[in-house]
Amino acid sequence: MTTTLNGPADQRSPTQHSTTQKPTTVASQLYSSLQSRRPKSRLRQVPLTVWIAAVFALVLLIASLAPSLLATHDPRAIRLEAPLASPNWEHWFGTDQSGRDLYSRMVHGAGQSLLIGLGATGIGVGLAVIFGAWAGLGGRWADAFIGRGLDVFFAFPTLLLAMVFITVYGPSAPTLILAVGLGTAPGYTRMVRGQILAVRHSGYVQAAEALGHSPWRILNRHILPNALRPLLAILTLGIGQSIVWASGLAFLGFGVAPPSPEWGALLEAGRPYITEAWWLEILPGLAVLATALTATILGKHLESALEGSQT
Amino acid sequence: MTTPPHLNAPKKRQRFRTPLSAAAILSATVLTACSGTSGLVSAEQVADRQPADGPQSGGIIEYGHLQEPKCVYGGWIQENFTARQILDSLVSQDADGKIVPWLATDWEVSEDQLVWTLTLRDDVSFTDGTPVDAEAVAYNFDHWLDGGNGTAAAHLGGFYEDSSAVDEHTVEVHLSAPFSPFLSTLSQSYFGIQSPTALETRSEEENCRAPIGSGPFTVQAWESGQYLEFVRNEDYNSAPANAKHQGPAYVEGIRWSFIPDNTSRYGSLLSEESDVIGEVPAVNIAQARERFDFEQYITPGRPVVINLNTEKGAFADQQVRQALSFATDREANIESAFLGTVPFEPSGYLSQSTPDYDVDAATEYPFDLDRADELLDEAGWTERAEDGTRLKAGERLEVVFTYGLNTIVTPDGNTAIQNFQEQARDAGFDIQLRPLTPSENSSGAFSGPDAYDAQVGYWTSPHAGILNINYRPGTEDQPNGANTTFLVDEGVFATIQEALQAPTSEDVTKHFSQAQHELSELAPAIGLYTQTNTIAVSDELSDVWLEESQGSPVFHDAYFRAEESVTEEEG
Repeated sequence: MTTTLNGPADQRSPTQHSTTQKPTTVASQLYSSLQSRRPKSRLRQVPLTVWIAAVFALVLLIASLAPSLLATHDPRAIRLEAPLASPNWEHWFGTDQSGRDLYSRMVHGAGQSLLIGLGATGIGVGLAVIFGAWAGLGGRWADAFIGRGLDVFFAFPTLLLAMVFITVYGPSAPTLILAVGLGTAPGYTRMVRGQILAVRHSGYVQAAEALGHSPWRILNRHILPNALRPLLAILTLGIGQSIVWASGLAFLGFGVAPPSPEWGALLEAGRPYITEAWWLEILPGLAVLATALTATILGKHLESALEGSQT
Repeated sequence: MTTPPHLNAPKKRQRFRTPLSAAAILSATVLTACSGTSGLVSAEQVADRQPADGPQSGGIIEYGHLQEPKCVYGGWIQENFTARQILDSLVSQDADGKIVPWLATDWEVSEDQLVWTLTLRDDVSFTDGTPVDAEAVAYNFDHWLDGGNGTAAAHLGGFYEDSSAVDEHTVEVHLSAPFSPFLSTLSQSYFGIQSPTALETRSEEENCRAPIGSGPFTVQAWESGQYLEFVRNEDYNSAPANAKHQGPAYVEGIRWSFIPDNTSRYGSLLSEESDVIGEVPAVNIAQARERFDFEQYITPGRPVVINLNTEKGAFADQQVRQALSFATDREANIESAFLGTVPFEPSGYLSQSTPDYDVDAATEYPFDLDRADELLDEAGWTERAEDGTRLKAGERLEVVFTYGLNTIVTPDGNTAIQNFQEQARDAGFDIQLRPLTPSENSSGAFSGPDAYDAQVGYWTSPHAGILNINYRPGTEDQPNGANTTFLVDEGVFATIQEALQAPTSEDVTKHFSQAQHELSELAPAIGLYTQTNTIAVSDELSDVWLEESQGSPVFHDAYFRAEESVTEEEG
């Protein structure tokens, strides 16, 4: 008896689709197999953590694009009579040192934090593609030159590199994006280079070369699409990482100017009050943590999905 | 760099190992055990404890300080604090602001007020053995004015001519014009007397990191970014007349740690890692008042103010400056930002603790939004953009405020500035804040008239002569970096000169009062809050005090109390 009745012809068998007859053992296996192949079933297989991450990502998206839908107060409005109020019915997350509503500031800060995360990752990955491709395809000398350059960059801690950049050009959101983007670029570059070298020596690239395709066509049609696919997942992970780094820089006083509600700036501003007003540190800290986790979970899931689609 | 062994020794053990204290503890233990009545104190015990209540010798004070100086002695207030530990000055100020002897035992001024004659003590030497004599003092005056100390030069520049030794212990200081706050000026540690031998023979770096004076401590070590170690000058015999005792310090040394983070600094006091901390965070002051010996010093001089750029930009217009002065409720702002722990200062020119402060001039700009609107309308800022910002010929009333965050402005001050920014929106000002990192602040890149529309800062001084420093017009030959409003007004300058050269204290007060009114009319600055120095001291330590001219902590009189007397009080 065959136990692998999962071919297209078997799926079309009318006996297996009777609504009145219970499936037999073999039929049961076939039924399970059928369920697993339906789109609805695949959604059911998505872990709960991914669902939670997706919902949180949706909330972040709304907060970024239309913060007034979620915010309860003007994020800049001060209440001098109520500084450092603990969480209550009027101010769900309490107030800060100026009496501003922390929840509304966090909602309005989501967009800026996400923008920093996306922008920095975009810059980091963009530079990585350029230099990684150059190192991977430019020959021995280009590879050696970029490789040594990367070694120099790796000698400096990324955060220190970003701090030097901000010190020279002054703190602002664009500077922060550039600083974090430049700081992360060496790591991504090394990954891209490795991927391109692996793909370049693959059989299908050699076949394309043998068929006389132009180098540009080979790069565009074969090397880049295959080398960069794994980067999609890394890019998602990088967004969370960039937000954490930008928050870290802001926490050290290298962030955007007040009264910006960017999350790192909120953390930095709340630091002097941590013994008396825990909510100023804990709640924005949790938001950064949750966003980084969300990006990580979605990135990992995307990575698995892409691997699955490749096989 | 290695730490000297005695400073590394366990602090608690080192402190109270006198035979007397040990006997007192033993006696108390035995008697309590025999009587079986805890809490009762025998006559013998009381007798034993009497000496323990007095000053104990020994121990290292662990002091937690906010900022690290660039040099131990220099022109910055942080350097004034450290210099106070190792240098003696010519005179001191007591709690009433009266000038009292220090290295100078007597002084007199000529009738034309151009020659000051100072009589010096004859029994004081610097720690390198050089005598503190008239030659040394005259050398120091020349040194300050020749670039040795920018703040000292800012005070005496334009007045000082030369100085000379009349005899071994008498020095004459010649001025080009009368300078009424001369003695008050000399009471600051910017005017601490250093060994001329050290200044002449040692490198600039050596004199920066370990100046040689005749003070109660000497510099033992400096671990950059971590701490300064001072060790007791065993031969010290020249405390000022307002000190609590004469002779060497009671404690063996001070470890002056740099703890820039407010929470960590206050936490170090709670965890007993520090015996004293400076700059108690506003949020912790209420608790510090209850748990520790807490002292607050309202610094005289220019308070923390918003200096408006009168040369370029929107604030070149006097009406716009006046409008901003009326536009916000500064008193409520400061009360909220500092949780009621720091006084609001309405004056943009002098702090309320400065002699000759004029309260009427200080309060000419109460919160009056209608008046601010009128002034802006009259100045031509009549239109409003969608966000409420005023417009004039299509230009937004957008102004940039710069301030050194965590160097000049504390986190609480940062809150006050943000509150000000938000309140000023109602009048139509769009204020962009630009906090400067420490390196940006000290680089000078943000000091010119093109760098800001307004800048937040303070300048300490024991007298109203600070107005001369802040409002003396800069010239090409003599630029005045302290004139951060870039105000050039001959009338105000002349009034300030009249005050400085006035023959009687009544005249001095009258002219300084007039100068404050004239400045108030021109409105180049807006007062926010008084610059304050605070210390919180553990109950194991006694007699740490803040001196009167600048609020430097003084550790010469400090001593650790016997443990049993601390316990008794706590009980």
